[in-house]
Amino acid sequence: MTISAPAPAFDIKSASLDLLALVLRSTDPAQLEPALQSRFSHLSANGQSEAFVLGLEALPSLEGVDLGSLLPLMGRHGIKVVALRHPDPAQAALASRYGLGFTTGGGRSSGPIQETAAATPVAPAQEPATSLIIDRPVRAGQQIYAKGGDLVILAVVSAGAEVIADGNIHVYGPLRGRALAGARGNTSARIFTQAMEAELVSVAGVYRTIEQALPDSIRHKPTQIYLENERLVMKALHE
Amino acid sequence: MAKIIVVTSGKGGVGKTTTSASFASGLALRGHKTVVIDFDVGLRNLDLIMGCERRVVYDLINVVNKEASLNQALIKDKHCDNLYILPASQTRDKDALTEEGVEGVLKELADMGYEYIVCDSPAGIEKGALMALHFADEAIVVTNPEVSSVRDSDRILGILASKSRRAMENREPVREHLLITRYSPARVDKGEMLSVDDVKEILRIPLIGVIPESQAVLQASNAGSPAIHLKGSDVAEAYSDVVARFLGEERPMRFVEAPKVGLLKRLFGG
Repeated sequence: MTISAPAPAFDIKSASLDLLALVLRSTDPAQLEPALQSRFSHLSANGQSEAFVLGLEALPSLEGVDLGSLLPLMGRHGIKVVALRHPDPAQAALASRYGLGFTTGGGRSSGPIQETAAATPVAPAQEPATSLIIDRPVRAGQQIYAKGGDLVILAVVSAGAEVIADGNIHVYGPLRGRALAGARGNTSARIFTQAMEAELVSVAGVYRTIEQALPDSIRHKPTQIYLENERLVMKALHE
Repeated sequence: MAKIIVVTSGKGGVGKTTTSASFASGLALRGHKTVVIDFDVGLRNLDLIMGCERRVVYDLINVVNKEASLNQALIKDKHCDNLYILPASQTRDKDALTEEGVEGVLKELADMGYEYIVCDSPAGIEKGALMALHFADEAIVVTNPEVSSVRDSDRILGILASKSRRAMENREPVREHLLITRYSPARVDKGEMLSVDDVKEILRIPLIGVIPESQAVLQASNAGSPAIHLKGSDVAEAYSDVVARFLGEERPMRFVEAPKVGLLKRLFGG
Protein backbone atom coordinates (compact mmCIF):
# COMPACT_ATOMS: atom_id res chain seq x y z
CA MET A 1 0.00 0.00 0.00
CA THR A 2 1.33 3.36 -0.86
CA ILE A 3 0.43 6.42 1.05
CA SER A 4 0.48 9.43 -1.16
CA ALA A 5 1.35 12.68 0.51
CA PRO A 6 -1.46 15.22 0.33
CA ALA A 7 -0.96 17.83 -2.34
CA PRO A 8 0.64 20.94 -0.85
CA ALA A 9 -1.71 23.84 -0.25
CA PHE A 10 0.68 26.17 -2.02
CA ASP A 11 3.98 26.36 -3.81
CA ILE A 12 6.45 29.16 -3.53
CA LYS A 13 7.97 30.17 -6.82
CA SER A 14 10.21 33.03 -7.71
CA ALA A 15 8.42 35.72 -9.68
CA SER A 16 9.58 38.97 -11.18
CA LEU A 17 6.67 41.09 -12.32
CA ASP A 18 6.56 44.35 -14.18
CA LEU A 19 4.64 47.11 -12.44
CA LEU A 20 4.08 50.70 -13.40
CA ALA A 21 5.16 53.33 -10.94
CA LEU A 22 3.18 56.50 -10.46
CA VAL A 23 5.70 59.08 -9.34
CA LEU A 24 3.94 61.87 -7.47
CA ARG A 25 5.11 65.41 -8.09
CA SER A 26 2.32 67.00 -6.10
CA THR A 27 -0.06 65.88 -3.39
CA ASP A 28 -2.49 68.75 -3.84
CA PRO A 29 -5.87 67.15 -4.58
CA ALA A 30 -6.92 70.21 -6.59
CA GLN A 31 -3.99 69.56 -8.92
CA LEU A 32 -4.14 65.78 -8.87
CA GLU A 33 -7.83 65.26 -9.42
CA PRO A 34 -8.05 66.83 -12.91
CA ALA A 35 -4.70 65.30 -13.91
CA LEU A 36 -5.83 61.82 -12.94
CA GLN A 37 -9.18 62.40 -14.57
CA SER A 38 -7.66 63.28 -17.92
CA ARG A 39 -5.03 60.53 -17.87
CA PHE A 40 -6.98 57.59 -16.43
CA SER A 41 -10.54 58.23 -17.56
CA HIS A 42 -10.38 55.06 -19.66
CA LEU A 43 -9.91 52.99 -16.52
CA SER A 44 -12.41 54.59 -14.20
CA ALA A 45 -15.08 54.82 -16.89
CA ASN A 46 -15.06 51.06 -17.36
CA GLY A 47 -14.87 50.29 -13.67
CA GLN A 48 -11.41 48.74 -14.17
CA SER A 49 -8.34 49.24 -12.08
CA GLU A 50 -4.64 48.73 -12.49
CA ALA A 51 -1.92 48.03 -9.96
CA PHE A 52 0.68 50.73 -9.40
CA VAL A 53 3.67 51.40 -7.21
CA LEU A 54 3.33 54.85 -5.71
CA GLY A 55 6.68 56.64 -6.00
CA LEU A 56 7.18 59.28 -3.31
CA GLU A 57 10.83 59.97 -4.09
CA ALA A 58 10.18 63.07 -6.20
CA LEU A 59 8.26 64.87 -3.47
CA PRO A 60 10.37 67.49 -1.68
CA SER A 61 9.08 66.30 1.70
CA LEU A 62 6.74 63.65 3.00
CA GLU A 63 5.41 65.92 5.70
CA GLY A 64 1.73 66.56 5.32
CA VAL A 65 1.32 63.81 2.76
CA ASP A 66 -2.05 62.33 3.65
CA LEU A 67 -2.23 58.86 2.17
CA GLY A 68 -5.54 58.37 3.93
CA SER A 69 -7.16 60.71 1.44
CA LEU A 70 -4.78 60.21 -1.48
CA LEU A 71 -5.30 56.46 -1.80
CA PRO A 72 -9.13 56.65 -2.10
CA LEU A 73 -8.73 59.51 -4.57
CA MET A 74 -6.53 57.34 -6.77
CA GLY A 75 -8.81 54.38 -6.27
CA ARG A 76 -11.69 56.39 -7.74
CA HIS A 77 -9.61 56.76 -10.89
CA GLY A 78 -8.82 53.08 -11.16
CA ILE A 79 -5.35 53.25 -9.64
CA LYS A 80 -4.81 50.46 -7.18
CA VAL A 81 -1.70 51.26 -5.15
CA VAL A 82 0.00 48.05 -4.02
CA ALA A 83 3.25 49.42 -2.69
CA LEU A 84 5.14 52.58 -1.82
CA ARG A 85 8.56 53.45 -3.12
CA HIS A 86 10.96 55.78 -1.34
CA PRO A 87 14.76 55.71 -0.99
CA ASP A 88 14.55 56.08 2.79
CA PRO A 89 13.90 52.64 4.35
CA ALA A 90 12.36 54.36 7.39
CA GLN A 91 9.32 55.09 5.26
CA ALA A 92 8.44 51.41 5.36
CA ALA A 93 6.46 52.22 8.51
CA LEU A 94 4.27 54.56 6.49
CA ALA A 95 3.58 51.81 3.97
CA SER A 96 2.73 49.24 6.61
CA ARG A 97 0.29 51.66 8.25
CA TYR A 98 -1.77 51.49 5.08
CA GLY A 99 -1.19 47.79 4.48
CA LEU A 100 1.03 48.44 1.46
CA GLY A 101 4.23 46.84 0.30
CA PHE A 102 7.40 48.90 0.38
CA THR A 103 10.51 49.18 -1.77
CA THR A 104 13.49 51.52 -1.73
CA GLY A 105 14.71 51.02 -5.27
CA GLY A 106 13.75 49.88 -8.68
CA GLY A 107 13.88 53.22 -10.34
CA ARG A 108 16.22 55.99 -11.14
CA SER A 109 14.09 59.05 -11.04
CA SER A 110 14.98 61.44 -8.29
CA GLY A 111 14.49 65.10 -7.81
CA PRO A 112 17.90 66.72 -8.23
CA ILE A 113 18.92 64.56 -11.19
CA GLN A 114 15.68 65.37 -12.91
CA GLU A 115 16.43 69.06 -12.89
CA THR A 116 19.72 68.83 -14.73
CA ALA A 117 18.13 66.49 -17.21
CA ALA A 118 15.34 68.95 -17.81
CA ALA A 119 17.85 71.59 -18.84
CA THR A 120 18.93 69.57 -21.86
CA PRO A 121 16.39 69.33 -24.64
CA VAL A 122 16.79 65.56 -24.94
CA ALA A 123 13.54 63.69 -24.56
CA PRO A 124 13.49 61.57 -21.40
CA ALA A 125 14.27 58.31 -23.14
CA GLN A 126 13.71 54.89 -21.61
CA GLU A 127 15.32 54.03 -18.29
CA PRO A 128 19.09 54.04 -18.61
CA ALA A 129 20.63 50.60 -18.29
CA THR A 130 21.86 50.33 -14.73
CA SER A 131 25.42 49.13 -14.23
CA LEU A 132 26.77 47.92 -10.97
CA ILE A 133 30.31 49.07 -10.22
CA ILE A 134 32.35 47.23 -7.59
CA ASP A 135 35.68 48.75 -6.58
CA ARG A 136 36.79 46.18 -4.00
CA PRO A 137 38.00 42.62 -4.53
CA VAL A 138 35.32 39.96 -4.89
CA ARG A 139 36.58 37.22 -2.55
CA ALA A 140 36.01 33.47 -2.35
CA GLY A 141 32.45 32.71 -1.29
CA GLN A 142 31.08 36.08 -2.35
CA GLN A 143 28.51 36.44 -5.08
CA ILE A 144 27.67 39.63 -6.91
CA TYR A 145 24.67 39.90 -9.21
CA ALA A 146 24.04 42.91 -11.42
CA LYS A 147 20.33 42.67 -12.13
CA GLY A 148 19.19 44.06 -15.42
CA GLY A 149 22.52 45.53 -16.47
CA ASP A 150 26.29 45.34 -16.68
CA LEU A 151 28.70 44.48 -13.90
CA VAL A 152 31.97 46.37 -13.72
CA ILE A 153 34.61 45.19 -11.26
CA LEU A 154 37.71 47.27 -10.67
CA ALA A 155 39.61 44.65 -8.67
CA VAL A 156 40.36 40.95 -8.57
CA VAL A 157 37.65 38.28 -8.72
CA SER A 158 39.15 35.54 -6.54
CA ALA A 159 38.93 31.84 -7.14
CA GLY A 160 35.73 30.63 -5.49
CA ALA A 161 33.91 33.91 -6.10
CA GLU A 162 30.99 34.27 -8.49
CA VAL A 163 30.06 37.32 -10.54
CA ILE A 164 26.79 37.36 -12.45
CA ALA A 165 25.13 39.96 -14.66
CA ASP A 166 22.11 40.16 -16.90
CA GLY A 167 24.32 42.21 -19.22
CA ASN A 168 28.09 42.23 -19.79
CA ILE A 169 30.77 41.63 -17.19
CA HIS A 170 33.93 43.73 -17.15
CA VAL A 171 36.75 42.77 -14.79
CA TYR A 172 39.61 45.26 -14.64
CA GLY A 173 41.78 42.84 -12.73
CA PRO A 174 42.39 39.11 -12.86
CA LEU A 175 39.26 36.97 -13.26
CA ARG A 176 39.94 33.82 -11.23
CA GLY A 177 36.46 32.81 -10.13
CA ARG A 178 33.27 32.20 -12.08
CA ALA A 179 31.69 34.73 -14.40
CA LEU A 180 28.17 34.36 -15.80
CA ALA A 181 27.04 37.03 -18.26
CA GLY A 182 23.62 37.28 -19.86
CA ALA A 183 22.12 35.48 -16.88
CA ARG A 184 18.59 36.00 -18.14
CA GLY A 185 19.30 34.76 -21.61
CA ASN A 186 20.94 37.70 -23.35
CA THR A 187 23.04 35.84 -25.92
CA SER A 188 24.90 38.97 -27.01
CA ALA A 189 26.33 39.57 -23.54
CA ARG A 190 30.11 39.34 -23.20
CA ILE A 191 32.72 38.92 -20.51
CA PHE A 192 35.88 41.03 -20.54
CA THR A 193 38.86 40.66 -18.25
CA GLN A 194 42.38 42.03 -17.89
CA ALA A 195 43.81 38.62 -17.00
CA MET A 196 41.99 35.44 -17.92
CA GLU A 197 42.34 32.83 -15.15
CA ALA A 198 38.66 31.92 -14.68
CA GLU A 199 37.32 28.64 -13.28
CA LEU A 200 34.09 28.85 -15.22
CA VAL A 201 32.62 31.20 -17.78
CA SER A 202 29.06 31.31 -19.06
CA VAL A 203 27.10 33.43 -21.48
CA ALA A 204 23.31 33.05 -21.56
CA GLY A 205 23.53 29.65 -19.92
CA VAL A 206 26.18 28.23 -22.27
CA TYR A 207 29.01 27.48 -19.89
CA ARG A 208 32.48 26.06 -19.88
CA THR A 209 34.59 24.91 -16.97
CA ILE A 210 38.26 25.56 -17.40
CA GLU A 211 40.26 22.66 -16.08
CA GLN A 212 43.05 22.39 -18.58
CA ALA A 213 45.57 25.15 -18.97
CA LEU A 214 44.34 27.81 -21.35
CA PRO A 215 46.28 28.54 -24.54
CA ASP A 216 49.16 30.97 -24.06
CA SER A 217 47.40 33.58 -26.18
CA ILE A 218 44.80 34.22 -23.48
CA ARG A 219 46.15 32.74 -20.24
CA HIS A 220 46.78 35.60 -17.77
CA LYS A 221 46.07 37.99 -20.66
CA PRO A 222 43.29 40.44 -21.55
CA THR A 223 40.48 38.32 -22.96
CA GLN A 224 36.90 38.55 -24.09
CA ILE A 225 34.36 35.76 -24.04
CA TYR A 226 31.23 35.73 -26.18
CA LEU A 227 28.78 33.44 -27.93
CA GLU A 228 29.11 32.64 -31.60
CA ASN A 229 26.69 30.12 -33.10
CA GLU A 230 25.84 28.91 -29.61
CA ARG A 231 29.47 28.17 -28.85
CA LEU A 232 31.58 30.03 -26.35
CA VAL A 233 34.53 31.82 -27.90
CA MET A 234 37.45 33.00 -25.78
CA LYS A 235 39.60 35.43 -27.64
CA ALA A 236 42.50 37.68 -26.74
CA LEU A 237 41.70 41.37 -26.68
CA HIS A 238 43.84 43.75 -28.78
CA GLU A 239 44.47 41.15 -31.44
CA MET B 1 41.08 55.41 21.66
CA ALA B 2 41.51 51.67 21.80
CA LYS B 3 42.32 49.92 18.57
CA ILE B 4 40.72 46.52 18.03
CA ILE B 5 42.80 44.04 16.03
CA VAL B 6 41.49 40.63 15.01
CA VAL B 7 43.90 37.80 14.26
CA THR B 8 42.04 35.56 11.86
CA SER B 9 42.57 33.06 9.03
CA GLY B 10 39.57 30.88 8.23
CA LYS B 11 41.64 27.72 8.36
CA GLY B 12 42.71 26.10 11.60
CA GLY B 13 46.24 25.29 12.69
CA VAL B 14 47.95 28.05 10.73
CA GLY B 15 49.23 29.95 13.77
CA LYS B 16 46.51 32.37 14.85
CA THR B 17 46.92 31.80 18.56
CA THR B 18 50.72 31.75 18.34
CA THR B 19 50.51 35.03 16.45
CA SER B 20 47.98 36.58 18.85
CA ALA B 21 50.20 35.72 21.81
CA SER B 22 53.42 37.01 20.28
CA PHE B 23 51.85 40.06 18.67
CA ALA B 24 50.08 41.13 21.87
CA SER B 25 53.28 40.50 23.86
CA GLY B 26 55.26 42.54 21.33
CA LEU B 27 52.89 45.50 21.69
CA ALA B 28 53.14 45.27 25.49
CA LEU B 29 56.96 45.02 25.38
CA ARG B 30 56.96 48.33 23.57
CA GLY B 31 55.04 49.89 26.43
CA HIS B 32 51.50 49.77 25.07
CA LYS B 33 48.74 48.70 27.42
CA THR B 34 47.34 45.65 25.66
CA VAL B 35 44.74 42.96 26.24
CA VAL B 36 44.40 39.75 24.25
CA ILE B 37 41.02 38.00 24.15
CA ASP B 38 40.52 34.34 23.30
CA PHE B 39 37.35 34.00 21.21
CA ASP B 40 37.74 30.26 20.75
CA VAL B 41 35.00 29.42 23.24
CA GLY B 42 34.97 25.70 23.96
CA LEU B 43 38.50 25.07 22.63
CA ARG B 44 40.48 27.60 24.56
CA ASN B 45 44.21 27.54 23.85
CA LEU B 46 45.52 31.04 24.31
CA ASP B 47 45.91 30.59 28.07
CA LEU B 48 48.11 27.53 27.45
CA ILE B 49 50.36 29.37 25.03
CA MET B 50 50.58 32.31 27.41
CA GLY B 51 51.28 29.92 30.27
CA CYS B 52 48.43 31.09 32.50
CA GLU B 53 46.03 28.17 32.26
CA ARG B 54 46.18 27.50 35.98
CA ARG B 55 45.19 31.03 36.82
CA VAL B 56 41.92 31.01 34.84
CA VAL B 57 39.01 31.47 37.22
CA TYR B 58 36.51 33.56 35.27
CA ASP B 59 36.37 33.88 31.50
CA LEU B 60 34.93 35.90 28.60
CA ILE B 61 31.52 34.21 28.81
CA ASN B 62 31.25 34.94 32.54
CA VAL B 63 31.89 38.59 31.77
CA VAL B 64 29.44 38.63 28.83
CA ASN B 65 26.79 37.08 31.10
CA LYS B 66 27.70 39.53 33.89
CA GLU B 67 28.57 36.68 36.25
CA ALA B 68 31.97 38.23 36.86
CA SER B 69 33.52 41.66 36.42
CA LEU B 70 36.22 42.30 33.85
CA ASN B 71 38.77 42.91 36.58
CA GLN B 72 38.04 39.47 38.02
CA ALA B 73 38.46 37.77 34.66
CA LEU B 74 41.54 39.57 33.35
CA ILE B 75 44.80 37.74 34.00
CA LYS B 76 48.05 39.66 34.18
CA ASP B 77 50.73 38.21 31.92
CA LYS B 78 53.78 36.82 33.69
CA HIS B 79 56.28 38.20 31.16
CA CYS B 80 55.10 41.74 30.46
CA ASP B 81 53.66 44.38 32.76
CA ASN B 82 51.34 45.93 30.20
CA LEU B 83 49.66 42.76 29.02
CA TYR B 84 46.44 41.16 30.20
CA ILE B 85 44.68 38.04 28.98
CA LEU B 86 40.94 37.47 28.82
CA PRO B 87 40.54 33.70 28.46
CA ALA B 88 37.76 31.83 26.72
CA SER B 89 35.45 29.39 28.45
CA GLN B 90 36.27 25.71 28.15
CA THR B 91 32.85 24.45 29.12
CA ARG B 92 30.53 26.59 27.00
CA ASP B 93 30.10 26.84 23.26
CA LYS B 94 30.28 29.73 20.87
CA ASP B 95 26.54 30.39 20.90
CA ALA B 96 27.08 31.88 24.37
CA LEU B 97 28.64 34.91 22.63
CA THR B 98 26.25 37.71 21.79
CA GLU B 99 26.94 40.82 19.76
CA GLU B 100 25.72 43.14 22.55
CA GLY B 101 27.71 41.20 25.13
CA VAL B 102 30.96 41.35 23.16
CA GLU B 103 30.43 45.01 22.34
CA GLY B 104 29.94 45.73 26.04
CA VAL B 105 33.18 43.96 26.97
CA LEU B 106 35.18 45.75 24.27
CA LYS B 107 33.78 49.11 25.30
CA GLU B 108 34.59 48.52 28.94
CA LEU B 109 38.16 47.51 28.03
CA ALA B 110 38.52 50.70 26.01
CA ASP B 111 37.24 52.71 28.97
CA MET B 112 39.82 51.01 31.18
CA GLY B 113 42.53 52.59 29.05
CA TYR B 114 43.73 49.66 26.96
CA GLU B 115 45.41 50.94 23.79
CA TYR B 116 45.24 47.68 21.85
CA ILE B 117 42.65 44.92 22.06
CA VAL B 118 43.85 41.80 20.23
CA CYS B 119 41.08 39.32 19.38
CA ASP B 120 42.26 35.76 18.78
CA SER B 121 39.67 34.34 16.38
CA PRO B 122 38.72 30.66 16.23
CA ALA B 123 39.00 28.84 12.90
CA GLY B 124 36.01 28.64 10.59
CA ILE B 125 33.48 31.23 9.57
CA GLU B 126 30.87 30.54 12.22
CA LYS B 127 29.65 32.55 15.17
CA GLY B 128 32.90 32.69 17.16
CA ALA B 129 34.91 33.90 14.17
CA LEU B 130 32.23 36.41 13.18
CA MET B 131 32.10 37.80 16.74
CA ALA B 132 35.90 38.10 16.85
CA LEU B 133 36.07 40.13 13.64
CA HIS B 134 32.83 42.06 13.93
CA PHE B 135 34.20 45.05 15.85
CA ALA B 136 37.71 45.04 14.37
CA ASP B 137 39.50 48.17 13.21
CA GLU B 138 42.39 46.19 11.75
CA ALA B 139 42.83 42.55 10.80
CA ILE B 140 45.91 40.37 10.69
CA VAL B 141 45.12 37.58 8.25
CA VAL B 142 47.37 34.61 9.05
CA THR B 143 48.11 32.41 6.06
CA ASN B 144 50.31 29.40 5.44
CA PRO B 145 51.94 29.21 2.02
CA GLU B 146 49.65 26.54 0.63
CA VAL B 147 46.53 26.79 -1.52
CA SER B 148 43.78 25.76 0.91
CA SER B 149 44.99 28.16 3.57
CA VAL B 150 45.20 30.97 1.03
CA ARG B 151 41.70 30.20 -0.23
CA ASP B 152 40.29 30.30 3.30
CA SER B 153 42.05 33.60 3.97
CA ASP B 154 40.46 34.98 0.82
CA ARG B 155 37.07 33.91 2.18
CA ILE B 156 37.74 35.61 5.52
CA LEU B 157 38.77 38.79 3.70
CA GLY B 158 35.41 38.71 1.94
CA ILE B 159 33.63 38.35 5.27
CA LEU B 160 35.65 41.24 6.73
CA ALA B 161 34.55 43.37 3.81
CA SER B 162 30.89 42.50 4.23
CA LYS B 163 30.09 41.47 7.81
CA SER B 164 32.32 43.64 9.98
CA ARG B 165 30.72 46.53 11.82
CA ARG B 166 32.77 48.97 9.74
CA ALA B 167 31.48 47.44 6.50
CA MET B 168 27.89 47.35 7.70
CA GLU B 169 27.99 50.99 8.76
CA ASN B 170 29.71 51.96 5.53
CA ARG B 171 32.66 53.41 7.41
CA GLU B 172 36.29 53.18 6.34
CA PRO B 173 36.94 49.47 5.75
CA VAL B 174 38.87 47.27 8.18
CA ARG B 175 42.62 47.67 7.52
CA GLU B 176 43.93 44.32 6.32
CA HIS B 177 47.43 42.94 6.91
CA LEU B 178 48.79 39.71 5.46
CA LEU B 179 50.98 37.60 7.74
CA ILE B 180 52.54 34.50 6.21
CA THR B 181 53.52 31.93 8.84
CA ARG B 182 55.40 28.60 8.73
CA TYR B 183 57.34 29.82 5.74
CA SER B 184 60.21 27.69 4.55
CA PRO B 185 62.28 29.36 1.81
CA ALA B 186 64.10 26.11 1.08
CA ARG B 187 60.83 24.33 0.32
CA VAL B 188 59.67 27.26 -1.79
CA ASP B 189 62.85 26.93 -3.86
CA LYS B 190 62.03 23.26 -4.39
CA GLY B 191 58.54 24.21 -5.53
CA GLU B 192 56.81 22.51 -2.59
CA MET B 193 55.34 25.71 -1.18
CA LEU B 194 53.81 28.89 -2.54
CA SER B 195 56.20 31.81 -2.46
CA VAL B 196 55.54 35.11 -0.68
CA ASP B 197 54.92 36.70 -4.06
CA ASP B 198 52.42 33.98 -5.04
CA VAL B 199 50.40 34.56 -1.86
CA LYS B 200 50.55 38.33 -2.26
CA GLU B 201 49.43 38.05 -5.87
CA ILE B 202 46.39 35.95 -4.90
CA LEU B 203 45.26 37.91 -1.83
CA ARG B 204 46.38 41.40 -2.88
CA ILE B 205 46.63 42.96 0.56
CA PRO B 206 49.73 44.55 2.16
CA LEU B 207 52.22 42.14 3.70
CA ILE B 208 53.06 42.83 7.35
CA GLY B 209 55.51 39.99 7.85
CA VAL B 210 56.78 36.50 7.17
CA ILE B 211 57.33 34.09 10.09
CA PRO B 212 59.72 31.26 9.25
CA GLU B 213 58.85 27.64 9.97
CA SER B 214 60.67 26.76 13.16
CA GLN B 215 60.91 24.12 15.86
CA ALA B 216 61.18 26.95 18.35
CA VAL B 217 57.46 27.72 18.01
CA LEU B 218 56.48 24.26 19.20
CA GLN B 219 58.91 24.43 22.12
CA ALA B 220 57.64 27.87 23.09
CA SER B 221 54.01 26.71 22.99
CA ASN B 222 54.72 23.69 25.13
CA ALA B 223 56.62 25.84 27.60
CA GLY B 224 53.73 28.30 27.85
CA SER B 225 55.77 31.26 26.68
CA PRO B 226 54.99 33.26 23.52
CA ALA B 227 57.60 32.74 20.79
CA ILE B 228 58.53 36.43 20.74
CA HIS B 229 60.34 35.91 24.08
CA LEU B 230 62.80 33.38 22.57
CA LYS B 231 65.70 35.79 22.41
CA GLY B 232 67.85 35.41 19.35
CA SER B 233 65.53 33.03 17.48
CA ASP B 234 64.45 33.93 13.96
CA VAL B 235 60.77 33.57 14.96
CA ALA B 236 61.14 36.12 17.77
CA GLU B 237 62.94 38.50 15.41
CA ALA B 238 60.25 38.06 12.77
CA TYR B 239 57.44 38.78 15.24
CA SER B 240 59.29 41.85 16.55
CA ASP B 241 59.47 43.09 12.97
CA VAL B 242 55.72 42.55 12.57
CA VAL B 243 54.97 44.61 15.68
CA ALA B 244 57.34 47.36 14.51
CA ARG B 245 55.71 47.49 11.08
CA PHE B 246 52.28 47.54 12.67
CA LEU B 247 53.34 50.57 14.69
CA GLY B 248 54.45 52.30 11.52
CA GLU B 249 58.17 51.57 11.35
CA GLU B 250 59.92 50.51 8.17
CA ARG B 251 61.69 47.16 8.44
CA PRO B 252 63.17 45.13 5.61
CA MET B 253 61.46 41.78 5.02
CA ARG B 254 63.67 39.04 6.53
CA PHE B 255 63.64 35.24 6.42
CA VAL B 256 62.23 35.10 2.90
CA GLU B 257 65.41 33.77 1.25
CA ALA B 258 66.87 30.32 1.83
CA PRO B 259 70.17 30.59 3.70
CA LYS B 260 73.12 30.26 1.32
CA VAL B 261 74.90 27.02 1.95
CA GLY B 262 78.64 27.47 1.72
CA LEU B 263 80.73 25.35 -0.65
CA LEU B 264 82.57 23.53 2.13
CA LYS B 265 79.38 22.83 3.99
CA ARG B 266 77.83 21.52 0.81
CA LEU B 267 80.82 19.24 0.17
CA PHE B 268 81.25 17.93 3.67
CA GLY B 269 77.70 18.21 5.03
CA GLY B 270 76.48 20.51 7.77
